[in-house]
Amino acid sequence: MISATRALQRADGGEFDLTAIVGALSARFAVVTGSMQLVRRKRLDTFDRRLHAAGFTLEHQIVEPGERLVLGRLDGSSTVAVPVKGLRWPATADVLPLGPVREAIAPVTGVRALMVALDEQRRMRRLELCNEDGKTVARVELDEPASPAAEPAQLMVRRLRGYDEQARRADRLLLGLGLRAVENGADRRPSSAPKTSSVDRAVPARVLLTTALSDFLVTMRENLPGLLDDVDTEFLHDFRVAVRRTRTTLKLGRPALPEVMRSRWEPAFKRLGDLTTPLRDLDVYELDLPTMATWLVTADPADLEPLATHLRSRRTAARHALVRFLRSARFRRLVTEWDLELAGLVDSPEGADRERLSAGQLADRSVSRAYRRVARGGFVIRADSPAQDLHELRKRCKELRYALEVFAPVLAKGPRGRAVADLKDLQDVLGRFQDCEVQRRAMRGFAEEMMTEGTKAGAVLAMGELIGHLDAEQDHARRQFDSAFARFARPSSLRLMHRLGGRR
Amino acid sequence: MKVFATYNIKGGVGKTSTAVNLAYLAAREGRRTLLWDLDPQAAATYLFRVRPRVRGGGHALVTRRRPIEAALKATDFENLDLLPADFSYRNMDLELDDTKKRTRRLGQLLDGVADDYDVVFLDCPPSISLVSENVLHASDTLLVPLIPATLSLRTLDQLVRFVADSKGSRPEVVAFFSMADRRKRLHRDVIDAISRDGTRVADTVIPALSIIEQMVERRAPVPAFAPTSRAAQCYEQLWAEVRPR
Repeated sequence: MISATRALQRADGGEFDLTAIVGALSARFAVVTGSMQLVRRKRLDTFDRRLHAAGFTLEHQIVEPGERLVLGRLDGSSTVAVPVKGLRWPATADVLPLGPVREAIAPVTGVRALMVALDEQRRMRRLELCNEDGKTVARVELDEPASPAAEPAQLMVRRLRGYDEQARRADRLLLGLGLRAVENGADRRPSSAPKTSSVDRAVPARVLLTTALSDFLVTMRENLPGLLDDVDTEFLHDFRVAVRRTRTTLKLGRPALPEVMRSRWEPAFKRLGDLTTPLRDLDVYELDLPTMATWLVTADPADLEPLATHLRSRRTAARHALVRFLRSARFRRLVTEWDLELAGLVDSPEGADRERLSAGQLADRSVSRAYRRVARGGFVIRADSPAQDLHELRKRCKELRYALEVFAPVLAKGPRGRAVADLKDLQDVLGRFQDCEVQRRAMRGFAEEMMTEGTKAGAVLAMGELIGHLDAEQDHARRQFDSAFARFARPSSLRLMHRLGGRR
Repeated sequence: MKVFATYNIKGGVGKTSTAVNLAYLAAREGRRTLLWDLDPQAAATYLFRVRPRVRGGGHALVTRRRPIEAALKATDFENLDLLPADFSYRNMDLELDDTKKRTRRLGQLLDGVADDYDVVFLDCPPSISLVSENVLHASDTLLVPLIPATLSLRTLDQLVRFVADSKGSRPEVVAFFSMADRRKRLHRDVIDAISRDGTRVADTVIPALSIIEQMVERRAPVPAFAPTSRAAQCYEQLWAEVRPR
């Protein structure tokens, strides 16, 4: 097995002189030069570069007459190759053949689809470096572009397990030809998470808000093609998160933003968010269905098949409706005009602010206000409070969370991190409570729809079991609320929030 | 990690050929595969052009003075590594006898590389010994090549009893005919007459073909140097019968 790889390049990134390379290596090895192969190489990763972040590289290589998937580590420490046939991208890891590649990749990619990040033709040639027994003790691969726009030529020295010294020798011989080692470059990872590099607290609040809103617009635009093509469910999720962050930022930024933001853009983004909700809810039900099947006690998982079919058909309809809107001139206009609005905000003179607030002042005010709202909302929750009250509290928690995220560049990193951690626990409990509430009601609604369509009793009974389970789960979450809120509202948390809110 | 052992009390029945060819086929499918050549004769090691030497010998491995990973060698084939034979393996019984849990030590050593490999093949020396007991405990499937002869069936009975009498987890025994010559009436009769009631007998029969003997000259598995040959196809069929699902 290959235990490590080192990549080398010519200083000018140009192509290699095969004769010189073979000549140099022949000083220590019997070199068997393979024939040149034209390889179509598709580098795969998820949209948010999960494989790269986890230190993996994955390539779908098509070399006549076969295809293979090659999984490696970014540091070249190991490589596994698996023959494959007819794989099409984008696709989730479920399409990969059972075995080591899928086992390594599937937990990393999760629900995200693998997409082609880079597609290029390469000219590959392999040199086997053999010892006196004719045993290959190291490999050198010449990897050169077959088209001018492709990545520059590279030469890989592949170290074989148990023959490290021989690979080092090959390395030394090649470095003697003037080749230089290639470092693995950093990769930009698209993410809906706001940027957190620190900013001077004295900058106008409008500048910080505009930057955040522009970032959210970039995220919406980045996720739009994947959403439209239905590549995976995370595109819609990330799109929605960007919309929700935009709405919260507009709300938090009211004191520092022009009136048009409140009168026009807040309702516009609320409508956009609302339009995406039905599809996201159905995505969640579909994704959760395998877990739900494990809750069944008396019913059989197969009894849920009519529900799966019903969800699929509802999802198709919801998707069509959303896609129709996202492809409409109205949506295009919304995005274009929002972009112009943000550009205008950047260019407008400083005096145009409703209040001359610095980013630090607005951050303090917003965090403090959001925290007070959560605290007030939490203290009035009683054992008999309706579910709606907990839902309202959940929304306030989200506002506080977004405030901590949007204003992260002007908040102290340590206290902010601890505040987010404290809040997360409470959000988790409230999230589970509300999810159970919504899912229970949705299940009832689906059951009624399915019964009018003539679904068999077995499916409805199985859904009844799911509702029972959700009921118990919701009770469990409700019981956990008091302690979660007590932790959130403990004196040390309060002091932390006061520090973040500008009080000393 | 699934562990196969090619094992028979008799020698010269095709254990090494089977281990080498099936390990190659497993690796070709993309499974990370290890072949441990436990036979001090080092035939599998020779076939992969690896030097039959383990630093510190069997003693260092069994006593864990040297980690098993340090002795592994990549073969010329992707996804396929070899733990080479060493002449000191002839004393492995004695080495194992001196350890705690002496019948389970090989399995314990393999546990150390369980994350690195999907399939392991143990190419065993012909004997019934402490090494054999270790192999029984370490493996999930015992692949037993049989030359179609009456004495071979008797040997199989002995082996099945040996497995049945062993304590703890027992591997599945899968016998198959090897080096079969359909031109010989005795071979045909034995193949047709074998009872498939008790022990699992694979449908695939590996014929006696000169191309299998050529592995020694070519120093490579048959499917690597003669991928369309009948022998390669037979090993592919055998692998299809026994491979992990």
